[in-house]
Amino acid sequence: MPPVISVQALRKDFRYPRQGKGVAAAVRGVFAPDYQTVHAVDGISLQIGEAERVAIIGPNGAGKSTTLKMLSGVLEPSGGTATVFGLTPWRQRSALAYRIGVVFGQRSQLWAELPVRASFDLLGHIYDQRGPDAVARREDLIARFDLGPLLGQPVGRLSLGQRMRCEIAAALLHGPDLLFLDEPTIGLDITAKAAIRDFITQNAAGAGQTVVLTSHDTRDIELVCDRVIVINQGRIVVDQPTEQLRRQFLAHKLVTLHAPGRTVTLDLPGVTRRASEPHLAVFEIDTRLVRVEHAVAAALEGGGIEDITIEDPPMEEVIREIYASV
Amino acid sequence: MARLSLPALYARTARAAIAGSAADRANLTLQVFGMLINNGFMLTLWVLFFAGFHSVGGWRLRDMALLTGLIYAIAGVAGVAFGGYRDMAATILNGEIDALLTQPRPVLARLLSRDSLPIAWGDLGTGLAILIAFAGLTWRDLPALAFGWTCGLIVYLSAAVTFASLAFWVGGARSLARDLTDFMILMSTYPGSIYSGASRAIAYTLLPAGFVVLTPVAFLRRPSLESAAMEAAAVIVYAALAAGVFHFGLTRYRRGASPLGAG
Repeated sequence: MPPVISVQALRKDFRYPRQGKGVAAAVRGVFAPDYQTVHAVDGISLQIGEAERVAIIGPNGAGKSTTLKMLSGVLEPSGGTATVFGLTPWRQRSALAYRIGVVFGQRSQLWAELPVRASFDLLGHIYDQRGPDAVARREDLIARFDLGPLLGQPVGRLSLGQRMRCEIAAALLHGPDLLFLDEPTIGLDITAKAAIRDFITQNAAGAGQTVVLTSHDTRDIELVCDRVIVINQGRIVVDQPTEQLRRQFLAHKLVTLHAPGRTVTLDLPGVTRRASEPHLAVFEIDTRLVRVEHAVAAALEGGGIEDITIEDPPMEEVIREIYASV
Repeated sequence: MARLSLPALYARTARAAIAGSAADRANLTLQVFGMLINNGFMLTLWVLFFAGFHSVGGWRLRDMALLTGLIYAIAGVAGVAFGGYRDMAATILNGEIDALLTQPRPVLARLLSRDSLPIAWGDLGTGLAILIAFAGLTWRDLPALAFGWTCGLIVYLSAAVTFASLAFWVGGARSLARDLTDFMILMSTYPGSIYSGASRAIAYTLLPAGFVVLTPVAFLRRPSLESAAMEAAAVIVYAALAAGVFHFGLTRYRRGASPLGAG
């Protein structure tokens, strides 16, 4: 079976005028600008097969969103080749649009002033979605994403989590075989993130859909994707199954304990103190050696804990670890 | 499955945008009322002016009423049915066209139809009222009025789209595009006889107030094949220019060379 996405030595360079210091440099910049070139995507090659759920991760400016934009036909590359369903995205943008759904976490495809229902109607017309199949798919999405109570509300008045559910449903209205999600959980609270992850996973599994997701959140990757591609400075650093990455690099949690007493202690195997200040301590939990709930229970047993925060290590830290290992 | 034609899709999207802009009734009422007062005040000034001076360079009150009525009506239809033009530069600079580029229909039509300006109903209302009550038009003038209105609207929108498309090249186009469009409207509210030399050249090129209202007014007053042909040619030139500049700009954006390139 041919891959859904095939990419060979894909490159994207951006040219920016260099900003000089002072008035003279500013005037010179108007008449003789000095350009610098940034290699946002620097010769990546990859293949993604049918029904794969792939995360493209990396720090800010790594090139992951630029890659997604080239694969969805928004941007033209500076070099290399790519096909999605056998189509060249930047040359056959309109034809490809019917086969893909795209969600940009920080951009909306819905009409802010209109009720969700009206936005869905318009998108149905834009994608030529009429007939019983389209109606059934729409009803199914509304039921699965629990959008019934939201349909009559203007999009602009929805919470971010509600809006994102509507955005993802909107991207699926025309029944695409491939879903691109660019930071779909950015800015959401924990509950909304969990709901979005469930929607993506259940929908993709049910429809045999291919999903390509970019994220800063390691939990998105762990819970949604079965393969991870790490990009940094425009190049692929790691391309491996999520399970392997989880064992190697996602086996840590950060637990912050707040206490009225001046010192906070937690002595367990697999727990290391990362930072301390009066009334607060940050511990790193190696989940291969101790479960998070056991560590938290041990901390509570000691008494005097006022507040607890459990977090994943920041993506930048995970990437640093990955780098150190390759 | 039958595909909705672009005009039909445009009509549906614009209708939805109008419904969206009318959803906040208090805002709609306030904006329309404000514009009615503003435009009414401008007309009153001209009425008082022509009470003292019978004519200015051959322009009488009814000519000015035709001119102001026409520009308000043009700005009204533009704002109501093509309201996306007003914030188009900002939309481009904010990268909001990325979502449109992942969808199958033409981007420019989507941009124009995505918004409807409540204030434009005030322009449309005063424009029609002035045309009916003060411009001295008769039923026989209706075809010429429809021709002039349509042509003026196309030139106005084309120029506004061209200005907004500067956002593909210039980071500061957000306010520049608005300023140029506002200058064009301003130049369209003065009698044509005040323009000569450089200002006349500007009015018939860069800020085409001449083709938005002056030529249509001349055609309405003295219909001739020559002025109709000139207006029709202007429509073709400005529409082609807008489509061309937008297309080249969009190509540039997709190559990542625009101010927002990196996305």
